[in-house]
Amino acid sequence: MFARVVLAEAVKSLRVYFFSARTFFWALALPLGNGLYLYFLYLPFAKNSVNLQFNSGTYTLDLVGFTIVGQLLYSFFTMMLLAGASFDSERWQGTLEAVLLSPANRVAILLGGALANAVNYMWMLIALVLSWIAIIHVNIRVTDYFALVLSLVLSYLAMVTLGMCLETADIYSKRGSILTGWLQEPVMFLSGQVFPLQSMPGFLLPFSYLLPLTFGLMAVRLTLLGGASMLNVATALAALASMVIIFFTLSMLLANYAEKRAKQKATLTEF
Amino acid sequence: MTTVIRALDRVDFEIQDGELFGLLGPNGAGKTTTVKILCTLLEPTGGHAFVKGYDVVKQGECVRKIVNMVAGGERMLYYRLTGRENLKYFADLYDVPRREVTARVNGLLGLMGLSDRADDEVEKYSKGMRQRLQVCRGLINDPEVLFLDEPTLGLDINIAKDLRSFIREKVVREQGKTVLLTTHYMYEAEEMCDRVGFISKGKLVAIGRPDELKRNMPSGFSVEILVTQLTDEAISSLRRLEIVKKVITTDYEGEVEGEKVDRLIVNVANEKAVPQVLGHMAAEHCRVVSFNLRGPTLEDLFMFYTGDR
Repeated sequence: MFARVVLAEAVKSLRVYFFSARTFFWALALPLGNGLYLYFLYLPFAKNSVNLQFNSGTYTLDLVGFTIVGQLLYSFFTMMLLAGASFDSERWQGTLEAVLLSPANRVAILLGGALANAVNYMWMLIALVLSWIAIIHVNIRVTDYFALVLSLVLSYLAMVTLGMCLETADIYSKRGSILTGWLQEPVMFLSGQVFPLQSMPGFLLPFSYLLPLTFGLMAVRLTLLGGASMLNVATALAALASMVIIFFTLSMLLANYAEKRAKQKATLTEF
Repeated sequence: MTTVIRALDRVDFEIQDGELFGLLGPNGAGKTTTVKILCTLLEPTGGHAFVKGYDVVKQGECVRKIVNMVAGGERMLYYRLTGRENLKYFADLYDVPRREVTARVNGLLGLMGLSDRADDEVEKYSKGMRQRLQVCRGLINDPEVLFLDEPTLGLDINIAKDLRSFIREKVVREQGKTVLLTTHYMYEAEEMCDRVGFISKGKLVAIGRPDELKRNMPSGFSVEILVTQLTDEAISSLRRLEIVKKVITTDYEGEVEGEKVDRLIVNVANEKAVPQVLGHMAAEHCRVVSFNLRGPTLEDLFMFYTGDR
């Protein structure tokens, strides 16, 4: 039952998004354009490097690679913010009530919606691959492929489960999608997306370590560009794994709370 | 400052298994709120409600398994999905046995005359087709209790008639489902409902079989009068007459010799009161265009219980 609802919700969300040949075209064309944009943007910085400190070690990374990984993981984060906003459009369409009228598991619905957005993100990965083929200057240094894959998977799961939590805000309130706007800039700054975390004022670091994107960026950058092993990024991976568990549990609790409050405040419909 | 409105106030009623019950009332009376509470889409601030013995607040999941709801006004469907995709999606949410999904979806689409357009996106459907698809969605989980919230709102006469007949004959008579219908179309309630309840300003003001309620109406007769040159003073003085139980003015679209026509429904104790009422209108310089004496209809009951004297 759980898996069936997850699949149904993910397929529906994707179908609602990819509803015509035109949407397929733009879904492919936009990341391709993004790839070209990245290429020309970072071309002048090719062969430059940046130092990144983690767990008392310092790693020298390719600057273009550092920036592209930052941009792509951040894009994934914003896709997860949009997973929350999708419930807002359900409210506008009047389908939120139809969904919550069913006995389907609420966490399965949240997971399905978040996964659909995660699948959408795959188009961004196409941009990544194409960009890197174009930007052959990027110096990739992988010594532990398992650590790299685990870093990607855990980053992916942490942000999907974070997306589930954000979805509950949109079930709870008609103005839940405001969170999307509020979170984008602070997360961009605090996660170290555009600059190494050690440049950040110390008093802000505790806030950085609350974000899955911070650990995801660290783990992926170090394993992909800095030749780091599993042992080197173990702390970041442990933090990501903990966040997956915390966010998933939180989404279960928040889903029930948000639905109950929305039913008390009659906010399941827009009008 | 937030104004607190009590949407429902001590509403208390029971519906029997296999019954088609109509909840009638003007806009804003509390009909939709009642339905949404019963199908767990709203949580009441007080009181208790049960569906098939399940508490709608404490056992919401059990309730959701056995109910469904169809609302008027083209909502509750995904316009970018086809009709078939919509139904399959909701079949998954309700955990309809996989081997039954295709047959059930096809059966419902056929029953509602949508088979030919099943694979078109809903955004290409007409209003009537969307409403019929909504009914399919409402029946996808084979619910024991079906809530219909103004299901024929905005539909063509023929489509609405077919829908009413389908619900009455197939859903209630053949399949034995319990249906709670809300509507403010009195002919619809008269045609379909076993029992009705009148709700006004959040309170249930009358409940019973339509024929019983008509029999028990304080005044057994109504005079429908079409009149021109009607004044507020004429209405007030008419209300003061002892033989008059209730006077209701309703909108009427029409003119006679360039003058606006108003429609009055005057509840009187017996037919002997009619000449007195007409005489009074003449004395007030109102021009009676026509009058008609009749026994009470559900519309009279509606006006009696939910309108002002």
